[in-house]
Amino acid sequence: MGTYAVRRTGQGLIVVIVVSFITFIEAHLLPGNPARAILGVHASSAQIQAFDIENGYNKALPIQYVDYAIRLLRGNLGFSYVLNQSVASLLAERLPATVILVGLSVLVSLIAAIPLAVLQAVRRNRPADYVLTGFTFAFYSMPTFWLGLMFVMLLAVKAHVFPPIAPQGGPVQILQHPQGLVLPVLTLALGNIAAFSRYLRSSLLDNLAMDYVRTARAIGSSNRRALYVHVFKNALAPVITLIGLSLPGILSGALITESIFNYPGMGLLYWNSALSQDYPVLLGVTIVVAVGTVAGSLIADLLYAVADPRIRYGRPA
Amino acid sequence: MGEAVTEAARQGQMAADGEIVSLGSPIRLGVQTLVKNRAALVGLIVVLIMLAFSFIGPLFYHTNQIATNLPDSLRPPGAGHPLGTDNEGYDEFGRLMLGGQTSLEVGLAAAVVATGIGIAYGAISGFAGGIVDGLMMRVVDGLLAVPTLFLLVYLFTVFQASVLLMILVIGLVAWLVPARLVRAETLSLRTREFVQAVRSMGGTRRRMIFRHIIPNTIGTIMVNATFQVADAILALASLSFLGLGIAPPAANWGGMLSTGVTYTYAGDWWLIYPPGLCILLTVMAFNAVGDGLRDAFEVRLQRR
Repeated sequence: MGTYAVRRTGQGLIVVIVVSFITFIEAHLLPGNPARAILGVHASSAQIQAFDIENGYNKALPIQYVDYAIRLLRGNLGFSYVLNQSVASLLAERLPATVILVGLSVLVSLIAAIPLAVLQAVRRNRPADYVLTGFTFAFYSMPTFWLGLMFVMLLAVKAHVFPPIAPQGGPVQILQHPQGLVLPVLTLALGNIAAFSRYLRSSLLDNLAMDYVRTARAIGSSNRRALYVHVFKNALAPVITLIGLSLPGILSGALITESIFNYPGMGLLYWNSALSQDYPVLLGVTIVVAVGTVAGSLIADLLYAVADPRIRYGRPA
Repeated sequence: MGEAVTEAARQGQMAADGEIVSLGSPIRLGVQTLVKNRAALVGLIVVLIMLAFSFIGPLFYHTNQIATNLPDSLRPPGAGHPLGTDNEGYDEFGRLMLGGQTSLEVGLAAAVVATGIGIAYGAISGFAGGIVDGLMMRVVDGLLAVPTLFLLVYLFTVFQASVLLMILVIGLVAWLVPARLVRAETLSLRTREFVQAVRSMGGTRRRMIFRHIIPNTIGTIMVNATFQVADAILALASLSFLGLGIAPPAANWGGMLSTGVTYTYAGDWWLIYPPGLCILLTVMAFNAVGDGLRDAFEVRLQRR
């Protein structure tokens, strides 16, 4: 376990460095230069020059990158000139809300996907399998924003069951109004159920075809026992990595979901910053989201190695 | 959404990686699947209908999709306008055809771009092996860590969207998954006897990659490319909703839907359900075809 964990963590660190390159390149993709993008079209060349010197944009690119990396390591994610606030403090406000939204919807997707997948695997290629697959795929194939707005129309405007807007404020206020979380969480979760249950279904089917199932049946275990005791354990272990792999997709969904429900998380912050062309915030959110994703998949892989010893001793992934 | 989610699902197909059984040509296999797998067949038919509707339809159903016609805006379906008119007075039925052209063009072309880059990158990385492979794959990991939509929103905040740019950017963002899949297959293919035989007979590396390795990954590539089309259509829709889509008078189904939903309260259903259903059916159809193809290429499932 030790060497695997060290090797995998090392890979994670390299990926984080790659991520910092990506955001650095993103910053320099800006038309003109960062100073022009931040100060606007009316800035004089003297202002631009002063800004460049103040922020080190007049130095050679490799030196700029080193400066950037050092700033990042110190937790300095930049400054939002639009909101007049440091990006780090903005993120500290918004990050917990997104963690709540994403965490809850992963949980809901799993709770729905596991029984669905068992049903689909056991009734493989029968009507029940087709109907369930059809339904989950319909949700998966629907643009997230349409699904969310249909929920608002049906359950908030017409039926008044849930509020149409997410609770505002910090994580405490959000958790104090769970009814406001229902629609955002559902919107984000429904699309994932298809992906999760499809993956679990094929994982269950793979395991059902294994020799150990035949052995279990041969020594007198019932079908039910073979499924729930032997197959279940083996088929559910990959779910840990599945969650890790799904994180970027779910975060993309969160960007849309938060925009629909005015949910005060990082996705909404990102969209608003895109509309106001607040590049420091966009880059800061990108790096935090990406590092979070890397950390998430690292944790998932390490947990999976604990659950399945074959990973630790096998070929490096 | 969902690019990495489905990646996980798609990687299910790599389980059968270690074993290769003669399955006949990939194309024949694909055709056989479509005949046997009814969902995939229906999917293919829907795709063909959508293509015909969008590209051949305008030849028979002429509408003005360039000049706005405000006095005639927001008319419910009726004579002259089978699906009514939208908020700018465009005929909704004709606009669906125009929007379908853009959505399908972007979806198909972005998938081609993504798959092309993915094949080249994955084959080189897997064939090189060692530290080069390690570094090339970390770059992929790094890009995968940035959620697609975040990257797309950034790029279209910086650049003004056009159809061509949309194709290039979505393609450039989506090549990561095919690269990983091709690389994984290359790793196992390059140690096979028939590939080693090329070397022993004095064949070049290029011959090994282009004549022997890449053709053997076609199954995986075909499956993934199908899903790429579906994802690209949804990505275009999401961007349109966020206000970063292609500017009018161009249209795409996602943009029509996101304009339509602003008229939900007015009850203008003809602006919502037609484009919504077009996206839903097309994306489901591509997913069904991909799913059917995957079942066909998945060796272990077949033996049962």
